[in-house]
Amino acid sequence: GDAEISTLQIVLFIADASSALEMAADGGSSSLQLPCVFSPKSRQFLALCAQDGRLRIWNTDSKTLHQEYVPSAHLSATCTCIAWGPCRTVKEGPQRKKRKSEAVQVEEKADLLAMGTAAGTVLIYSTAKGALHCTLDGAHSGGVNCVQWHPEESLLYSGSDDTNIVEWDLQTGKTRSKWKADRAAVTSLCVSPDGKLLLSAGHIIKMWDLDTKEVYRKFTGHSTAVTTLRFATTRPPDSNGLYFLSGAAHDRLLSVWQVREDGKDKNSVVSFTLTDEPQHIDLVTSNSKEEAVRLAVVCKDGQLHLFEHFLNGPCKKPLSPSCTVQMSDTKESPMPIPLLAAVLGADTRTVMLAYGSHLQPVMEKEINTAERHVCLTRDVQTTLSLSMETTVSKVKTPIVNAKSKVLVPGLPGHQAPLKGTSQGSEKRKKDTDTKEMSIAERLGEIDLSTISEKGASKGTASLQTDNFAVLLVQGLESNDASILNKVFQTRKDMVIKKTVARLPLSAVLPLVEEVTYTFVLSYRASLMVRWLKAVLMHHTSYLASLPDLVTQLGVLYHVIESRVKMFHKLTKLHGKLYLLMTQVSANICSAVHSIISFKYFQMTGF
Amino acid sequence: MVEHGDIRVVHCGGSKLNFRDPVITHDSRFLLCASGEAVKVFSTSTEECIHELRGHTGLVTGVLLRPSNHLQVYSSSLDGTVRLWDFTDGILIKTCVIGYPIYSFYASAKHENIFVFAERFQLVAVHLPQSGDQLVEARELSAVLSGVNPNPAAIAFGRGGEFIASVNDLQLEVYFFKKQKSYRFFLKEDNKKGGWNTFTCVACHPKDDCIATGHEDGKIRLWRNFNHKKEYTYSTLHWHHSAVSSLCFTPEGTNLLSGGVESVLIQWRYKQESERDFLPRLGAAITHITVSPDGSLFCTSHSDNKITIIQSCVKVSAVIQGLVKGDSIRTDLMMDPRSKALVLNGKPGHLQFYSLQRDKLLYNLDIVQQEYIHESGLQQFEVVKAAFDASGLWLATVEERHQKAAELELNLKLWAFDEQTQSFVLNTTISAPHDAQITAMSFRQTADSQTTLLVSTSKDGHFKAWQLAAPAHTEDYIQSVNCPSWLCDFVGAYHGLVPECCSFSADGSLLAVAFQEVVTVWSPATWELTFFFFSPPSISDLCFGRLSCSKYLLGTTASNLLCCWNLLTCSCKTSPCIKVLSTQNFFCDSLNRFISLFLSFLLSVFVFKPSEPRPLFSRKAVCSGKVTQAVFAPREEMLESCEESSQWLNRSQLYFLTQQMDLMTFTTKAEEDRLLASSKQLVIDDSVAMTPFYLLLGKHRQQQQEHRDSDSSLWAERTALPQTSASIKELLQTPAHVLPSTSYLCSMFVQSLLISVSDARSAHAEEEMESEKEEEDSEEEMESSRSKPELVAAATESDAPALTKAQARELRRVRKLDHSWLAGLLDS
Repeated sequence: GDAEISTLQIVLFIADASSALEMAADGGSSSLQLPCVFSPKSRQFLALCAQDGRLRIWNTDSKTLHQEYVPSAHLSATCTCIAWGPCRTVKEGPQRKKRKSEAVQVEEKADLLAMGTAAGTVLIYSTAKGALHCTLDGAHSGGVNCVQWHPEESLLYSGSDDTNIVEWDLQTGKTRSKWKADRAAVTSLCVSPDGKLLLSAGHIIKMWDLDTKEVYRKFTGHSTAVTTLRFATTRPPDSNGLYFLSGAAHDRLLSVWQVREDGKDKNSVVSFTLTDEPQHIDLVTSNSKEEAVRLAVVCKDGQLHLFEHFLNGPCKKPLSPSCTVQMSDTKESPMPIPLLAAVLGADTRTVMLAYGSHLQPVMEKEINTAERHVCLTRDVQTTLSLSMETTVSKVKTPIVNAKSKVLVPGLPGHQAPLKGTSQGSEKRKKDTDTKEMSIAERLGEIDLSTISEKGASKGTASLQTDNFAVLLVQGLESNDASILNKVFQTRKDMVIKKTVARLPLSAVLPLVEEVTYTFVLSYRASLMVRWLKAVLMHHTSYLASLPDLVTQLGVLYHVIESRVKMFHKLTKLHGKLYLLMTQVSANICSAVHSIISFKYFQMTGF
Repeated sequence: MVEHGDIRVVHCGGSKLNFRDPVITHDSRFLLCASGEAVKVFSTSTEECIHELRGHTGLVTGVLLRPSNHLQVYSSSLDGTVRLWDFTDGILIKTCVIGYPIYSFYASAKHENIFVFAERFQLVAVHLPQSGDQLVEARELSAVLSGVNPNPAAIAFGRGGEFIASVNDLQLEVYFFKKQKSYRFFLKEDNKKGGWNTFTCVACHPKDDCIATGHEDGKIRLWRNFNHKKEYTYSTLHWHHSAVSSLCFTPEGTNLLSGGVESVLIQWRYKQESERDFLPRLGAAITHITVSPDGSLFCTSHSDNKITIIQSCVKVSAVIQGLVKGDSIRTDLMMDPRSKALVLNGKPGHLQFYSLQRDKLLYNLDIVQQEYIHESGLQQFEVVKAAFDASGLWLATVEERHQKAAELELNLKLWAFDEQTQSFVLNTTISAPHDAQITAMSFRQTADSQTTLLVSTSKDGHFKAWQLAAPAHTEDYIQSVNCPSWLCDFVGAYHGLVPECCSFSADGSLLAVAFQEVVTVWSPATWELTFFFFSPPSISDLCFGRLSCSKYLLGTTASNLLCCWNLLTCSCKTSPCIKVLSTQNFFCDSLNRFISLFLSFLLSVFVFKPSEPRPLFSRKAVCSGKVTQAVFAPREEMLESCEESSQWLNRSQLYFLTQQMDLMTFTTKAEEDRLLASSKQLVIDDSVAMTPFYLLLGKHRQQQQEHRDSDSSLWAERTALPQTSASIKELLQTPAHVLPSTSYLCSMFVQSLLISVSDARSAHAEEEMESEKEEEDSEEEMESSRSKPELVAAATESDAPALTKAQARELRRVRKLDHSWLAGLLDS
């Protein structure tokens, strides 16, 4: 029994160990995480290395693909990390005086991009030229895991699987120094904002003095490979005010470390809780104690968390985000859209996002994050199809769909609703109220009529023998379209005249309203004119006695006026067309004549 | 009035790109074009501007590659100078003063002179003195042709520079340099079909004696045998329906390219003219066509300030688009609150969104959505007015087609920004919203940023208020069921006068409409006329104050008064009223409470605070041309300037557009200093380019190096081997045609073979550095606070021993020498 238990234990132990190993190996290679970086300062570009090994640079202003670059051997030596260089400024010749009207050449254009590859080389790509600027190779024997630019000098640091850190001198394109940093692969690097310190993460996190290349501090804490290192403050290291931040694979916490003067900085001081392992981090460093550190973290599960914290000594509780942003599509059962990257705007409340797939991300500026949980719905497909078109032609076509309304002269709403002079604004409000009431009533009636359709059809059949006036009154009262249709179909002037004459006074106004609405549907206008004429002939006195005549007949008036306005032009056109047609037919006749006579001559043999 | 020394007017972009034909460099990597007072160098693959060659003080009128050195370029300008530039680094090499304004210029590989079109319609040959000075004066001028057309397309060099062809009006003149003789050919003014025979452009075949000329009626004539006065012949090609604006032969002469208003690029096969290829839909009328020297890239300039780069007449590979200027700026300049881009009418029927920070066109928004027919004289729909609401959620546009005075077609379109699709969506189209042209539009801004009211004023004497509302009648004929749309809410008029402009107050509670000389103020809640002001001359512009000055209503009048009414006291007093000369426009800042004023004739800018009668800032003669439009753009980052005079620039920036389409702005000294301090220059070696060839060689070299490293002890004693000498390497790697004479090189070669003391020393140093140390990988590393740094400095750098200083200096001198004389020798 004991032996069995022990073997089982061993088996379990081995299984555990192997899974732990697998996990470590998985965490060590960051190839699963595709590099995705916004350009510094103005955030004009988003550099993205997708699954197919190509580097794509997207313009965040026009949201279009700016450039695509296929590194040679992009499938074997895949790009593992990207870093934008400091912004380029246009070189000024020293010999030339500056003229008065010239702007200082300070266009802050992001230009150079350093890419570390799995083959151990570092490529420097120029986005202005759209070509490779130079290649740095020959120093790493393993794949490059991270590249970092020096903020001031033209130096570049790269950390690799071969446990070394290399300092590249970009003026010559050669290595300036190379040193072994750790026992394990160097997975992450970060240069301090003043350019004097370098953080590296391998087995443990080390802080290096860049002047002497000596270890300044060591920090231990993460059990998995550290994927992110960032300085959180810009204070000098001996002031107890220097903080940095680290995140690791499979770790749902971001740790903040304080660099203390006394060296008692073994443990992290603050931690931020996340929903998944961090994928992309943007951070606004604080320059003083009064300034909060702002942090935007995009997790692997596609959520964005925003934090804001005043770094001042340790804080025991893990901090939860001040805002969480999620995104979903517009389908009936919404699916989440993964966020790829986010950067904080100059304004404290805005962020810029990239979301969708790595092959075709969508960029969006100015997302307001005032609330604690923000869920955005986006239609990625339409957005993409619109932006694809823009890439080539630089023309963006706004969406025009059937939902958009067209107001032509004559339709209600094209002219202001006419109001009688006696009525104030209160009357108008009341008007709209009654209208809303009537809408509800009508809707109810429509429902009823559809239910009792059988009965209605029977009714119309039986009512046929009755006179038109009764039918019309019935139709108007029940608002039955079929009855009204039947009545309005008549073309006999006498019938119309008699019907209108027999109409009770209470039905006159509804008739006018009905006629007006049918009138707007232009294809029945010619029929309606007869009815209108008859109404005006018989009931003018009644209409004139109405107190709110102007509002009642306002629409009708506009309709008639707009139609009459075109009458002159239409007559002209009609005349011209008539002339043309007669000419054509005359010509055809003569042509036919001539052909026939020609044929005749031919046949008869002249 | 005070002059403020630390506020400067600076140029910030937007210039014309299509003024003269662009030039593509020999390696097809760059495209150079004249743009205002500078020459811009663009990358043909990325469309980015890489350098701006600045230095001319007048309009640049031409760019030409230097025939003898393909890395240098000449530019000519109205300031009377020709300048020579190195375009890869953007350095001015030489300035040559000619003394006359140059309108266009030409050069040929055959002639050392350049040809300049100067005043009095003369073509002049100029000999550029070959001296090392920065500034030289050209004195050797000789007239070649007189009475030439000022259009630069009207002159072309013939086969290898043997002759020059010039067209003017109805005359083709060919001048032979060798014979010093010119022949003239005339066409009749009008042929029988009524077409115009006037010449528009000329191009010469590079290998053959053939001249192609374009004509006003769309014909292209190919002239041959023109070295005889009598026996000349020509054949006619006809496809274009209106004037041919540009002609160009490909470098090998196999094809002829032509373009015109139709915006179609046509490629005719030379000697098989019935076969032709078309590249249609290039967007706008073609003004210039150029071909890269290797013939792989074509490039067309267009009338909408665009350069299209085309790969072998098949595919448009890049579009360099500047600020589009239509016939005129009908819409005012606006700022899109969402993207912070400048918005104005662009291509016909489009609104353009232009990024001020990057000086780049973002996109054109297609408003009219009708195919534009490229034909001159056709009246088509154009966007004439546009307005954004404060949050950028709504956009109102007015398009009009104007055939005759009586027949006016108007459409008012209201677009809603849809967050889901990140695009504008058409909400309502109102056809014929007014009977006459719309003069102004304005959205109401309310406190809860829900804009539901738009006011449009028209020349028909009415103003209309449009309201966003759910449809009032749910009858079956209204198709849109639940979507709120815009409906007319109120039509206002005042004694039949024509309303010129309108403005909502900051909180949206008041609407001011100026009817000629009467300013009426309405309350939008009830549409009652609350009060009106009367000012004798008619009001041309109207605006409410913002923030603390919201009680003020400002207006400019035709008689050059800036009036300010206080709405709280309700008295129609025009207390802060300044007499100013000829106000043209005034522009209101939406963020803070400043008003700027432009005076058209004096070209002056005044900035006022509405509450004070004296201007805060004034500047005379801000630019050389008229200011047409201006706009206040909010800043991304606020400036902290404590000076009273420049406070108005803290939160926003004033941009203005001149007639030459130049965008100008004001900057303060503090801002410039800040920017200069933050900017730094990155110098990065770009000599290493990764090519398959390089990979091959690089690997080989690496192997060699490794081999060398392995037995470095052996090498240390024998460092002075000739192969490792850098000067010899240099000598062998430099192309032979740029090397100086062998007699000169010989001494250097011999010198380099001698073992110098410094060489040996450096070799020793190298040896020391390369001795590698293995790092101890022990557990104690965790404890020890300091680990020893392993410094392998410059491991790869040390493969070649350094030169002696004298050698290096010598070599540098040799490299700097002008080798252009050799090119001349090779040619002859």
